[in-house]
Amino acid sequence: MRGVAVWFSGAALAFLLTAGVFLLLANIATIPSEKSLAPEPPEAASQPVVELELNADQLASLKPEPDQNLNLTVRNENSTPLSDVNVTLSVSSENTALSRSRYYRQMVEEVPANGTADIPFDFNLSEPKQRVTGRPASEPAREILEIKATTPDGISATKTVILPP
Amino acid sequence: MAKPGLLVVLLAAVLLMGCTHAEESSIAPLTPTAGRVDPGLGPGTRALSSGPGYKGSPSWSPDGTRIAFTVDGYVVDGPTTSGESRRWTTKDFVATDTEWTSEETLTILGAASSSEREAGSSLYRANAGEGSLALQRIAKGVLAMSPIPGEDTLVFALASGTRGSELALTRNGKTSYRVHANSTIEGRVSALSLSPDGDEAVMAVRPRGHPEMSELRTFDFRQDEGHEVARLEGDREVVGTPQWTEQGIYFVAGKQTTSLDDDSSEPLFELYRVPADGSAPEPAPGVGEDFVASSIRVSPEDDRLAVIGRLNPKSPANLYVLDPAAKKLEAITANEDMEIKTDPDDLAWSPDGANVAIIARGTPSTEPEVRTEPADRLLRDFYNLYEIPVSEETAR
Repeated sequence: MRGVAVWFSGAALAFLLTAGVFLLLANIATIPSEKSLAPEPPEAASQPVVELELNADQLASLKPEPDQNLNLTVRNENSTPLSDVNVTLSVSSENTALSRSRYYRQMVEEVPANGTADIPFDFNLSEPKQRVTGRPASEPAREILEIKATTPDGISATKTVILPP
Repeated sequence: MAKPGLLVVLLAAVLLMGCTHAEESSIAPLTPTAGRVDPGLGPGTRALSSGPGYKGSPSWSPDGTRIAFTVDGYVVDGPTTSGESRRWTTKDFVATDTEWTSEETLTILGAASSSEREAGSSLYRANAGEGSLALQRIAKGVLAMSPIPGEDTLVFALASGTRGSELALTRNGKTSYRVHANSTIEGRVSALSLSPDGDEAVMAVRPRGHPEMSELRTFDFRQDEGHEVARLEGDREVVGTPQWTEQGIYFVAGKQTTSLDDDSSEPLFELYRVPADGSAPEPAPGVGEDFVASSIRVSPEDDRLAVIGRLNPKSPANLYVLDPAAKKLEAITANEDMEIKTDPDDLAWSPDGANVAIIARGTPSTEPEVRTEPADRLLRDFYNLYEIPVSEETAR
Protein backbone atom coordinates (compact mmCIF):
# COMPACT_ATOMS: atom_id res chain seq x y z
CA MET A 1 0.00 0.00 0.00
CA ARG A 2 2.83 2.34 0.94
CA GLY A 3 4.57 1.52 -2.33
CA VAL A 4 1.50 2.49 -4.33
CA ALA A 5 1.31 5.83 -2.51
CA VAL A 6 5.01 6.53 -3.20
CA TRP A 7 4.60 5.70 -6.90
CA PHE A 8 1.47 7.90 -7.12
CA SER A 9 3.20 10.84 -5.37
CA GLY A 10 6.25 10.46 -7.58
CA ALA A 11 4.19 10.43 -10.77
CA ALA A 12 2.22 13.52 -9.65
CA LEU A 13 5.44 15.34 -8.74
CA ALA A 14 7.00 14.53 -12.12
CA PHE A 15 3.86 15.73 -13.92
CA LEU A 16 3.74 19.00 -11.99
CA LEU A 17 7.43 19.70 -12.50
CA THR A 18 7.15 19.06 -16.26
CA ALA A 19 4.02 21.23 -16.56
CA GLY A 20 5.68 24.00 -14.57
CA VAL A 21 8.75 24.01 -16.79
CA PHE A 22 6.58 24.17 -19.94
CA LEU A 23 4.53 27.07 -18.56
CA LEU A 24 7.68 28.92 -17.58
CA LEU A 25 9.13 28.48 -21.05
CA ALA A 26 5.86 29.59 -22.66
CA ASN A 27 5.78 32.80 -20.59
CA ILE A 28 9.41 33.60 -21.29
CA ALA A 29 8.85 33.16 -25.03
CA THR A 30 5.88 35.56 -25.18
CA ILE A 31 7.31 38.44 -23.18
CA PRO A 32 8.91 40.39 -26.08
CA SER A 33 6.03 39.83 -28.51
CA GLU A 34 4.37 43.26 -28.12
CA LYS A 35 7.56 45.12 -28.85
CA SER A 36 8.30 43.01 -31.89
CA LEU A 37 4.86 43.98 -33.33
CA ALA A 38 5.87 47.60 -33.71
CA PRO A 39 5.73 48.42 -37.43
CA GLU A 40 8.93 48.90 -39.30
CA PRO A 41 9.67 52.45 -40.40
CA PRO A 42 8.74 52.94 -44.05
CA GLU A 43 12.32 53.32 -45.11
CA ALA A 44 14.85 51.35 -43.15
CA ALA A 45 18.12 53.09 -42.37
CA SER A 46 20.06 50.63 -44.47
CA GLN A 47 18.05 51.46 -47.62
CA PRO A 48 19.02 54.30 -49.93
CA VAL A 49 17.21 57.54 -49.19
CA VAL A 50 16.52 59.94 -52.01
CA GLU A 51 15.37 63.53 -51.63
CA LEU A 52 14.23 66.19 -54.08
CA GLU A 53 15.20 69.82 -53.73
CA LEU A 54 13.63 72.74 -55.60
CA ASN A 55 14.79 76.30 -56.01
CA ALA A 56 12.18 78.70 -54.59
CA ASP A 57 13.35 81.64 -56.74
CA GLN A 58 13.11 79.54 -59.87
CA LEU A 59 9.60 78.39 -58.95
CA ALA A 60 8.54 82.00 -58.38
CA SER A 61 9.82 82.98 -61.83
CA LEU A 62 7.73 80.39 -63.73
CA LYS A 63 5.18 81.81 -66.16
CA PRO A 64 2.19 80.22 -67.91
CA GLU A 65 4.13 80.05 -71.17
CA PRO A 66 6.09 77.48 -73.21
CA ASP A 67 9.84 76.99 -72.67
CA GLN A 68 9.98 77.10 -68.90
CA ASN A 69 13.03 75.81 -67.02
CA LEU A 70 13.42 74.15 -63.66
CA ASN A 71 16.61 72.71 -62.18
CA LEU A 72 15.87 69.91 -59.75
CA THR A 73 18.37 68.49 -57.30
CA VAL A 74 18.28 64.83 -56.36
CA ARG A 75 20.02 64.23 -53.05
CA ASN A 76 21.35 60.82 -52.03
CA GLU A 77 21.38 60.60 -48.25
CA ASN A 78 22.94 57.16 -48.20
CA SER A 79 26.60 56.18 -47.97
CA THR A 80 26.49 54.22 -51.22
CA PRO A 81 25.93 55.69 -54.70
CA LEU A 82 22.52 55.51 -56.35
CA SER A 83 22.20 54.61 -60.00
CA ASP A 84 19.41 54.85 -62.58
CA VAL A 85 17.18 57.22 -60.65
CA ASN A 86 14.02 57.92 -62.67
CA VAL A 87 12.81 61.52 -62.36
CA THR A 88 9.41 62.54 -63.76
CA LEU A 89 7.69 65.91 -63.97
CA SER A 90 3.99 66.17 -64.73
CA VAL A 91 2.22 69.44 -65.45
CA SER A 92 -1.53 69.48 -64.91
CA SER A 93 -4.30 71.93 -64.14
CA GLU A 94 -6.20 72.28 -60.90
CA ASN A 95 -9.26 72.03 -63.15
CA THR A 96 -9.62 68.26 -63.32
CA ALA A 97 -12.17 68.47 -66.13
CA LEU A 98 -9.38 69.49 -68.51
CA SER A 99 -7.85 66.48 -70.18
CA ARG A 100 -4.49 68.15 -70.73
CA SER A 101 -1.53 66.83 -68.76
CA ARG A 102 2.08 66.98 -69.85
CA TYR A 103 4.70 64.46 -68.77
CA TYR A 104 8.49 64.79 -68.81
CA ARG A 105 11.02 62.16 -67.77
CA GLN A 106 14.76 61.97 -67.20
CA MET A 107 17.05 59.20 -66.00
CA VAL A 108 19.94 60.07 -63.65
CA GLU A 109 22.72 57.55 -64.16
CA GLU A 110 24.38 58.09 -60.80
CA VAL A 111 23.94 60.13 -57.67
CA PRO A 112 27.13 59.94 -55.55
CA ALA A 113 27.03 58.76 -51.96
CA ASN A 114 25.90 61.60 -49.68
CA GLY A 115 25.89 63.81 -52.74
CA THR A 116 23.57 65.43 -55.24
CA ALA A 117 22.79 65.46 -58.95
CA ASP A 118 21.23 68.40 -60.78
CA ILE A 119 18.58 67.67 -63.41
CA PRO A 120 17.41 70.46 -65.71
CA PHE A 121 13.85 70.20 -67.01
CA ASP A 122 12.50 72.22 -69.94
CA PHE A 123 8.73 72.12 -70.09
CA ASN A 124 5.61 73.79 -71.39
CA LEU A 125 3.49 75.68 -68.88
CA SER A 126 1.19 77.44 -71.35
CA GLU A 127 -2.52 77.51 -70.53
CA PRO A 128 -4.92 75.21 -72.35
CA LYS A 129 -7.13 76.46 -75.13
CA GLN A 130 -10.03 74.36 -73.85
CA ARG A 131 -13.13 76.19 -72.76
CA VAL A 132 -13.50 76.19 -68.99
CA THR A 133 -17.10 75.63 -67.95
CA GLY A 134 -17.23 73.68 -64.72
CA ARG A 135 -15.92 76.35 -62.35
CA PRO A 136 -16.71 80.02 -61.87
CA ALA A 137 -14.56 82.72 -63.42
CA SER A 138 -13.66 83.89 -59.92
CA GLU A 139 -11.83 80.60 -59.37
CA PRO A 140 -9.06 80.45 -61.99
CA ALA A 141 -7.42 77.05 -62.03
CA ARG A 142 -3.85 76.90 -60.77
CA GLU A 143 -1.14 74.85 -62.46
CA ILE A 144 0.26 71.86 -60.58
CA LEU A 145 3.76 70.43 -61.01
CA GLU A 146 4.25 66.94 -59.62
CA ILE A 147 7.86 65.78 -59.44
CA LYS A 148 8.84 62.26 -58.49
CA ALA A 149 12.27 60.61 -58.16
CA THR A 150 12.28 56.81 -58.00
CA THR A 151 15.21 54.45 -57.51
CA PRO A 152 15.29 50.97 -59.10
CA ASP A 153 14.54 49.61 -55.61
CA GLY A 154 11.26 51.52 -55.56
CA ILE A 155 12.34 54.16 -53.07
CA SER A 156 10.80 57.44 -54.12
CA ALA A 157 10.44 61.08 -53.17
CA THR A 158 7.64 63.36 -54.32
CA LYS A 159 7.29 67.12 -54.46
CA THR A 160 4.06 68.79 -55.57
CA VAL A 161 4.20 72.46 -56.50
CA ILE A 162 1.02 74.53 -56.72
CA LEU A 163 1.61 77.65 -58.76
CA PRO A 164 -0.55 80.73 -58.10
CA PRO A 165 -2.76 81.86 -61.00
CA MET B 1 5.06 13.74 5.73
CA ALA B 2 6.55 16.69 3.89
CA LYS B 3 5.46 15.34 0.50
CA PRO B 4 1.76 16.42 0.57
CA GLY B 5 2.83 19.93 1.58
CA LEU B 6 5.36 20.07 -1.22
CA LEU B 7 2.74 18.91 -3.69
CA VAL B 8 0.32 21.65 -2.61
CA VAL B 9 3.02 24.31 -2.99
CA LEU B 10 3.98 23.02 -6.44
CA LEU B 11 0.35 22.86 -7.55
CA ALA B 12 -0.23 26.48 -6.43
CA ALA B 13 2.94 27.60 -8.25
CA VAL B 14 1.84 25.92 -11.46
CA LEU B 15 -1.65 27.46 -11.28
CA LEU B 16 -0.22 30.90 -10.51
CA MET B 17 2.24 30.68 -13.37
CA GLY B 18 -0.43 29.51 -15.79
CA CYS B 19 -2.86 32.28 -14.89
CA THR B 20 -0.42 35.16 -15.19
CA HIS B 21 1.19 36.58 -18.29
CA ALA B 22 3.26 39.54 -19.26
CA GLU B 23 1.48 42.89 -19.16
CA GLU B 24 0.17 43.86 -22.61
CA SER B 25 0.21 47.28 -24.16
CA SER B 26 -2.46 48.14 -26.71
CA ILE B 27 -1.42 48.57 -30.32
CA ALA B 28 -2.73 51.70 -31.91
CA PRO B 29 -4.78 51.07 -35.06
CA LEU B 30 -3.37 52.20 -38.35
CA THR B 31 -4.64 55.51 -39.65
CA PRO B 32 -6.78 54.92 -42.73
CA THR B 33 -5.68 56.72 -45.86
CA ALA B 34 -9.19 57.99 -46.48
CA GLY B 35 -11.02 60.06 -43.94
CA ARG B 36 -7.92 61.77 -42.63
CA VAL B 37 -8.50 64.33 -39.94
CA ASP B 38 -8.03 67.95 -40.80
CA PRO B 39 -7.42 70.00 -37.67
CA GLY B 40 -8.46 73.26 -39.32
CA LEU B 41 -12.16 72.52 -38.87
CA GLY B 42 -12.14 71.11 -35.35
CA PRO B 43 -11.99 67.71 -33.66
CA GLY B 44 -13.82 64.81 -35.22
CA THR B 45 -13.66 66.25 -38.72
CA ARG B 46 -13.04 63.70 -41.49
CA ALA B 47 -12.06 64.38 -45.05
CA LEU B 48 -14.39 62.82 -47.60
CA SER B 49 -12.33 63.77 -50.65
CA SER B 50 -8.82 64.84 -51.52
CA GLY B 51 -6.86 66.34 -54.36
CA PRO B 52 -7.54 69.13 -56.84
CA GLY B 53 -10.89 70.08 -58.34
CA TYR B 54 -13.62 72.64 -57.69
CA LYS B 55 -16.09 70.60 -55.67
CA GLY B 56 -19.72 71.36 -54.92
CA SER B 57 -23.27 70.17 -54.31
CA PRO B 58 -22.65 67.26 -51.91
CA SER B 59 -25.43 64.72 -51.51
CA TRP B 60 -25.44 61.75 -49.13
CA SER B 61 -26.83 58.42 -50.36
CA PRO B 62 -30.01 57.27 -48.55
CA ASP B 63 -28.11 54.72 -46.41
CA GLY B 64 -25.32 57.21 -45.68
CA THR B 65 -22.51 55.01 -47.00
CA ARG B 66 -21.67 57.13 -50.05
CA ILE B 67 -21.55 60.80 -50.94
CA ALA B 68 -21.95 62.30 -54.42
CA PHE B 69 -20.68 65.70 -55.47
CA THR B 70 -19.61 67.72 -58.47
CA VAL B 71 -15.94 68.25 -59.40
CA ASP B 72 -15.29 70.97 -61.96
CA GLY B 73 -18.80 70.31 -63.25
CA TYR B 74 -18.78 66.53 -63.62
CA VAL B 75 -20.32 64.18 -61.04
CA VAL B 76 -18.53 61.63 -58.85
CA ASP B 77 -19.38 59.71 -55.73
CA GLY B 78 -17.31 57.84 -53.19
CA PRO B 79 -17.67 55.82 -50.01
CA THR B 80 -17.76 57.84 -46.80
CA THR B 81 -15.20 55.50 -45.20
CA SER B 82 -12.52 54.49 -47.70
CA GLY B 83 -12.41 53.12 -51.19
CA GLU B 84 -12.46 54.10 -54.82
CA SER B 85 -14.63 56.88 -56.18
CA ARG B 86 -16.88 56.49 -59.22
CA ARG B 87 -17.49 58.95 -62.01
CA TRP B 88 -21.11 59.35 -63.14
CA THR B 89 -20.78 61.77 -66.06
CA THR B 90 -18.25 62.61 -68.71
CA LYS B 91 -15.83 65.40 -67.88
CA ASP B 92 -17.47 67.87 -70.28
CA PHE B 93 -20.78 67.60 -68.42
CA VAL B 94 -21.63 70.59 -66.24
CA ALA B 95 -23.89 69.67 -63.32
CA THR B 96 -25.44 72.24 -61.01
CA ASP B 97 -27.17 69.85 -58.60
CA THR B 98 -27.12 66.15 -57.75
CA GLU B 99 -29.60 64.23 -55.62
CA TRP B 100 -29.91 60.53 -54.76
CA THR B 101 -33.33 59.10 -55.54
CA SER B 102 -32.38 55.52 -54.52
CA GLU B 103 -29.25 53.68 -53.35
CA GLU B 104 -28.31 53.06 -56.98
CA THR B 105 -29.73 56.11 -58.74
CA LEU B 106 -28.61 59.71 -58.98
CA THR B 107 -30.71 62.47 -60.46
CA ILE B 108 -28.54 65.18 -61.99
CA LEU B 109 -29.47 68.69 -63.05
CA GLY B 110 -27.09 70.00 -65.67
CA ALA B 111 -26.11 70.21 -69.30
CA ALA B 112 -24.23 67.65 -71.37
CA SER B 113 -22.99 69.99 -74.11
CA SER B 114 -22.26 73.64 -74.75
CA SER B 115 -25.34 73.98 -77.00
CA GLU B 116 -27.52 72.51 -74.29
CA ARG B 117 -25.98 74.83 -71.72
CA GLU B 118 -27.17 77.82 -73.72
CA ALA B 119 -30.70 76.39 -73.82
CA GLY B 120 -30.84 75.71 -70.07
CA SER B 121 -30.36 72.71 -67.83
CA SER B 122 -31.91 69.29 -68.25
CA LEU B 123 -32.79 66.65 -65.70
CA TYR B 124 -30.97 63.34 -66.05
CA ARG B 125 -31.10 60.00 -64.30
CA ALA B 126 -27.94 57.90 -63.88
CA ASN B 127 -27.72 54.37 -62.55
CA ALA B 128 -24.73 52.95 -60.68
CA GLY B 129 -22.90 50.03 -62.21
CA GLU B 130 -23.77 50.69 -65.81
CA GLY B 131 -20.18 51.68 -66.39
CA SER B 132 -20.82 53.62 -69.57
CA LEU B 133 -21.43 57.06 -68.06
CA ALA B 134 -24.78 56.89 -69.86
CA LEU B 135 -27.43 59.32 -68.70
CA GLN B 136 -31.15 59.11 -69.36
CA ARG B 137 -32.72 62.49 -69.93
CA ILE B 138 -35.99 63.03 -68.10
CA ALA B 139 -36.81 66.60 -69.12
CA LYS B 140 -35.38 69.70 -70.80
CA GLY B 141 -35.60 73.23 -69.47
CA VAL B 142 -35.52 72.23 -65.79
CA LEU B 143 -35.04 75.06 -63.31
CA ALA B 144 -34.82 73.33 -59.92
CA MET B 145 -35.48 69.96 -58.29
CA SER B 146 -36.13 68.33 -54.94
CA PRO B 147 -36.35 64.60 -54.14
CA ILE B 148 -39.01 63.23 -51.81
CA PRO B 149 -36.98 61.44 -49.10
CA GLY B 150 -37.58 57.70 -48.90
CA GLU B 151 -39.25 57.51 -52.30
CA ASP B 152 -37.82 57.20 -55.78
CA THR B 153 -39.76 60.34 -56.61
CA LEU B 154 -38.66 63.80 -57.60
CA VAL B 155 -40.49 67.12 -57.85
CA PHE B 156 -39.03 69.60 -60.29
CA ALA B 157 -39.79 73.00 -61.83
CA LEU B 158 -39.93 73.32 -65.61
CA ALA B 159 -39.60 76.47 -67.66
CA SER B 160 -42.94 77.29 -69.26
CA GLY B 161 -43.45 79.90 -71.97
CA THR B 162 -41.28 82.99 -72.03
CA ARG B 163 -41.14 83.71 -68.29
CA GLY B 164 -43.34 81.11 -66.58
CA SER B 165 -42.76 77.86 -64.68
CA GLU B 166 -44.72 74.77 -63.75
CA LEU B 167 -44.21 71.86 -61.39
CA ALA B 168 -43.73 68.26 -62.50
CA LEU B 169 -43.26 64.87 -60.89
CA THR B 170 -41.29 61.79 -61.91
CA ARG B 171 -41.70 58.48 -60.06
CA ASN B 172 -40.18 55.02 -59.65
CA GLY B 173 -37.06 55.58 -61.68
CA LYS B 174 -38.95 56.32 -64.88
CA THR B 175 -37.81 58.82 -67.46
CA SER B 176 -41.38 60.02 -68.02
CA TYR B 177 -42.91 62.78 -65.93
CA ARG B 178 -46.26 64.37 -65.23
CA VAL B 179 -46.87 68.12 -65.07
CA HIS B 180 -48.95 68.94 -62.03
CA ALA B 181 -52.33 70.48 -62.80
CA ASN B 182 -52.80 74.17 -61.89
CA SER B 183 -49.15 74.56 -61.00
CA THR B 184 -48.35 77.30 -63.51
CA ILE B 185 -46.30 80.07 -61.89
CA GLU B 186 -45.95 83.59 -63.28
CA GLY B 187 -42.19 83.76 -63.09
CA ARG B 188 -39.06 81.66 -63.14
CA VAL B 189 -38.45 79.29 -60.23
CA SER B 190 -34.85 79.48 -59.06
CA ALA B 191 -34.99 77.02 -56.16
CA LEU B 192 -37.39 74.43 -54.79
CA SER B 193 -37.78 72.27 -51.68
CA LEU B 194 -40.57 70.35 -49.97
CA SER B 195 -42.44 70.65 -46.68
CA PRO B 196 -41.73 68.09 -43.93
CA ASP B 197 -44.80 66.03 -44.95
CA GLY B 198 -43.93 66.32 -48.66
CA ASP B 199 -47.39 67.67 -49.51
CA GLU B 200 -46.24 71.21 -50.28
CA ALA B 201 -43.39 72.84 -52.13
CA VAL B 202 -41.71 76.16 -51.34
CA MET B 203 -40.05 78.02 -54.18
CA ALA B 204 -37.93 81.09 -54.79
CA VAL B 205 -39.36 82.84 -57.86
CA ARG B 206 -38.40 85.77 -60.08
CA PRO B 207 -41.84 87.22 -60.99
CA ARG B 208 -42.59 87.78 -64.66
CA GLY B 209 -41.99 91.40 -65.64
CA HIS B 210 -40.32 92.28 -62.31
CA PRO B 211 -36.66 91.26 -62.55
CA GLU B 212 -35.82 93.41 -59.56
CA MET B 213 -38.17 91.45 -57.32
CA SER B 214 -37.92 88.06 -55.68
CA GLU B 215 -40.85 86.04 -54.39
CA LEU B 216 -41.30 83.19 -52.01
CA ARG B 217 -44.20 80.97 -53.10
CA THR B 218 -45.71 77.71 -51.88
CA PHE B 219 -47.75 75.13 -53.76
CA ASP B 220 -50.07 72.61 -52.07
CA PHE B 221 -50.15 69.36 -54.08
CA ARG B 222 -53.32 68.16 -52.30
CA GLN B 223 -55.31 71.34 -52.89
CA ASP B 224 -53.69 72.18 -56.26
CA GLU B 225 -53.22 75.73 -55.00
CA GLY B 226 -50.30 78.09 -54.96
CA HIS B 227 -49.72 81.07 -52.65
CA GLU B 228 -47.33 83.99 -52.50
CA VAL B 229 -45.69 83.90 -49.08
CA ALA B 230 -43.39 86.89 -49.32
CA ARG B 231 -42.24 89.42 -51.88
CA LEU B 232 -38.84 91.07 -51.61
CA GLU B 233 -38.34 94.38 -53.38
CA GLY B 234 -35.49 96.79 -53.94
CA ASP B 235 -33.12 94.37 -55.69
CA ARG B 236 -33.19 92.01 -52.75
CA GLU B 237 -33.41 88.37 -53.73
CA VAL B 238 -33.81 84.96 -52.20
CA VAL B 239 -30.47 83.18 -52.34
CA GLY B 240 -30.33 79.41 -52.57
CA THR B 241 -33.11 77.06 -51.58
CA PRO B 242 -35.70 77.98 -48.91
CA GLN B 243 -35.95 75.33 -46.18
CA TRP B 244 -39.18 74.21 -44.53
CA THR B 245 -38.90 73.38 -40.82
CA GLU B 246 -41.48 72.57 -38.18
CA GLN B 247 -41.22 76.22 -37.04
CA GLY B 248 -41.75 77.75 -40.46
CA ILE B 249 -39.94 78.46 -43.71
CA TYR B 250 -36.36 79.77 -43.51
CA PHE B 251 -34.61 81.55 -46.36
CA VAL B 252 -31.49 83.60 -47.03
CA ALA B 253 -31.98 86.96 -48.77
CA GLY B 254 -30.18 90.19 -49.47
CA LYS B 255 -28.76 92.43 -52.16
CA GLN B 256 -26.38 90.60 -54.49
CA THR B 257 -24.43 93.80 -55.17
CA THR B 258 -24.05 94.97 -51.57
CA SER B 259 -20.46 95.27 -50.43
CA LEU B 260 -20.17 96.98 -47.07
CA ASP B 261 -16.93 95.35 -46.16
CA ASP B 262 -13.85 96.75 -47.86
CA ASP B 263 -11.92 93.56 -47.19
CA SER B 264 -14.41 91.34 -48.95
CA SER B 265 -16.62 91.52 -51.99
CA GLU B 266 -18.93 88.90 -50.53
CA PRO B 267 -22.48 90.23 -50.29
CA LEU B 268 -24.10 90.39 -46.88
CA PHE B 269 -27.18 88.19 -46.71
CA GLU B 270 -29.51 87.67 -43.79
CA LEU B 271 -31.45 84.67 -42.57
CA TYR B 272 -35.23 85.14 -42.46
CA ARG B 273 -38.15 83.07 -41.23
CA VAL B 274 -41.75 82.93 -42.33
CA PRO B 275 -43.47 81.69 -39.15
CA ALA B 276 -45.57 78.53 -39.35
CA ASP B 277 -48.74 80.63 -38.92
CA GLY B 278 -47.99 82.30 -42.27
CA SER B 279 -47.36 85.81 -40.94
CA ALA B 280 -44.85 88.20 -42.54
CA PRO B 281 -41.16 87.25 -42.81
CA GLU B 282 -38.93 88.29 -39.92
CA PRO B 283 -35.21 88.04 -39.20
CA ALA B 284 -34.63 84.49 -37.99
CA PRO B 285 -34.87 84.43 -34.19
CA GLY B 286 -31.77 83.30 -32.34
CA VAL B 287 -29.02 84.08 -34.83
CA GLY B 288 -28.12 87.61 -33.75
CA GLU B 289 -28.59 90.82 -35.68
CA ASP B 290 -25.04 90.92 -37.11
CA PHE B 291 -25.17 87.35 -38.43
CA VAL B 292 -24.36 86.99 -42.14
CA ALA B 293 -25.88 83.86 -43.67
CA SER B 294 -24.70 82.11 -46.82
CA SER B 295 -26.39 78.76 -47.13
CA ILE B 296 -28.89 76.70 -45.15
CA ARG B 297 -30.10 73.11 -45.15
CA VAL B 298 -32.81 71.53 -42.98
CA SER B 299 -31.99 68.30 -41.11
CA PRO B 300 -33.58 64.96 -42.07
CA GLU B 301 -35.91 65.27 -39.05
CA ASP B 302 -36.90 68.82 -40.14
CA ASP B 303 -36.13 70.13 -36.66
CA ARG B 304 -32.69 71.71 -37.13
CA LEU B 305 -31.12 73.99 -39.66
CA ALA B 306 -27.47 73.75 -40.73
CA VAL B 307 -26.24 77.26 -41.52
CA ILE B 308 -22.96 78.39 -43.05
CA GLY B 309 -22.42 81.98 -42.07
CA ARG B 310 -20.49 84.55 -40.10
CA LEU B 311 -21.31 85.94 -36.67
CA ASN B 312 -20.54 89.36 -38.15
CA PRO B 313 -19.19 90.55 -41.53
CA LYS B 314 -15.59 90.53 -40.24
CA SER B 315 -15.59 87.07 -38.68
CA PRO B 316 -14.64 83.85 -40.50
CA ALA B 317 -17.28 81.60 -42.04
CA ASN B 318 -18.29 78.68 -39.88
CA LEU B 319 -20.86 75.93 -39.68
CA TYR B 320 -23.69 76.53 -37.23
CA VAL B 321 -26.77 74.55 -36.30
CA LEU B 322 -29.92 76.50 -35.48
CA ASP B 323 -32.56 74.92 -33.28
CA PRO B 324 -35.67 76.81 -34.49
CA ALA B 325 -37.82 75.64 -31.57
CA ALA B 326 -35.33 76.77 -28.92
CA LYS B 327 -34.18 79.76 -31.05
CA LYS B 328 -30.62 78.71 -30.28
CA LEU B 329 -27.63 78.90 -32.62
CA GLU B 330 -24.71 76.60 -31.89
CA ALA B 331 -21.29 76.92 -33.51
CA ILE B 332 -20.21 73.51 -34.85
CA THR B 333 -16.83 74.53 -36.24
CA ALA B 334 -14.36 76.99 -34.73
CA ASN B 335 -12.58 77.76 -37.96
CA GLU B 336 -10.02 80.54 -38.20
CA ASP B 337 -7.84 79.69 -41.16
CA MET B 338 -9.98 77.68 -43.59
CA GLU B 339 -12.14 79.09 -46.37
CA ILE B 340 -15.51 77.38 -46.08
CA LYS B 341 -17.32 77.41 -49.43
CA THR B 342 -20.46 79.49 -49.17
CA ASP B 343 -22.39 78.65 -52.34
CA PRO B 344 -26.04 77.84 -51.61
CA ASP B 345 -25.83 74.08 -52.30
CA ASP B 346 -22.50 73.39 -50.63
CA LEU B 347 -23.71 71.64 -47.49
CA ALA B 348 -25.64 68.44 -46.83
CA TRP B 349 -26.90 66.49 -43.81
CA SER B 350 -26.14 62.80 -43.44
CA PRO B 351 -29.34 60.72 -43.44
CA ASP B 352 -29.01 59.97 -39.70
CA GLY B 353 -28.68 63.66 -38.86
CA ALA B 354 -25.35 63.08 -37.09
CA ASN B 355 -23.05 64.83 -39.56
CA VAL B 356 -22.99 67.69 -42.02
CA ALA B 357 -20.83 67.70 -45.14
CA ILE B 358 -19.23 71.01 -46.04
CA ILE B 359 -16.56 72.08 -48.55
CA ALA B 360 -13.47 74.00 -47.47
CA ARG B 361 -9.84 74.73 -48.27
CA GLY B 362 -6.92 76.56 -46.73
CA THR B 363 -6.31 80.13 -47.82
CA PRO B 364 -4.46 80.00 -51.16
CA SER B 365 -1.03 81.58 -51.25
CA THR B 366 0.14 84.09 -53.80
CA GLU B 367 3.52 82.29 -53.88
CA PRO B 368 4.29 78.78 -55.20
CA GLU B 369 3.50 76.21 -52.55
CA VAL B 370 5.58 73.02 -52.25
CA ARG B 371 4.20 69.85 -50.68
CA THR B 372 5.75 66.43 -50.11
CA GLU B 373 2.65 64.42 -51.03
CA PRO B 374 1.20 63.64 -54.47
CA ALA B 375 -1.43 66.13 -55.60
CA ASP B 376 -4.30 63.66 -55.34
CA ARG B 377 -3.65 63.21 -51.59
CA LEU B 378 -3.57 66.89 -50.68
CA LEU B 379 -6.45 68.28 -48.63
CA ARG B 380 -6.07 71.90 -47.59
CA ASP B 381 -4.64 73.14 -50.87
CA PHE B 382 -7.89 72.53 -52.73
CA TYR B 383 -11.60 72.65 -52.02
CA ASN B 384 -12.47 69.31 -50.43
CA LEU B 385 -15.41 67.73 -48.66
CA TYR B 386 -15.37 67.32 -44.90
CA GLU B 387 -17.71 65.42 -42.63
CA ILE B 388 -18.41 67.54 -39.55
CA PRO B 389 -20.02 65.78 -36.59
CA VAL B 390 -22.69 67.79 -34.84
CA SER B 391 -22.53 67.81 -31.06
CA GLU B 392 -24.56 65.51 -28.85
CA GLU B 393 -26.76 68.41 -27.81
CA THR B 394 -27.79 69.10 -31.39
CA ALA B 395 -27.84 65.43 -32.49
CA ARG B 396 -31.13 64.02 -31.36
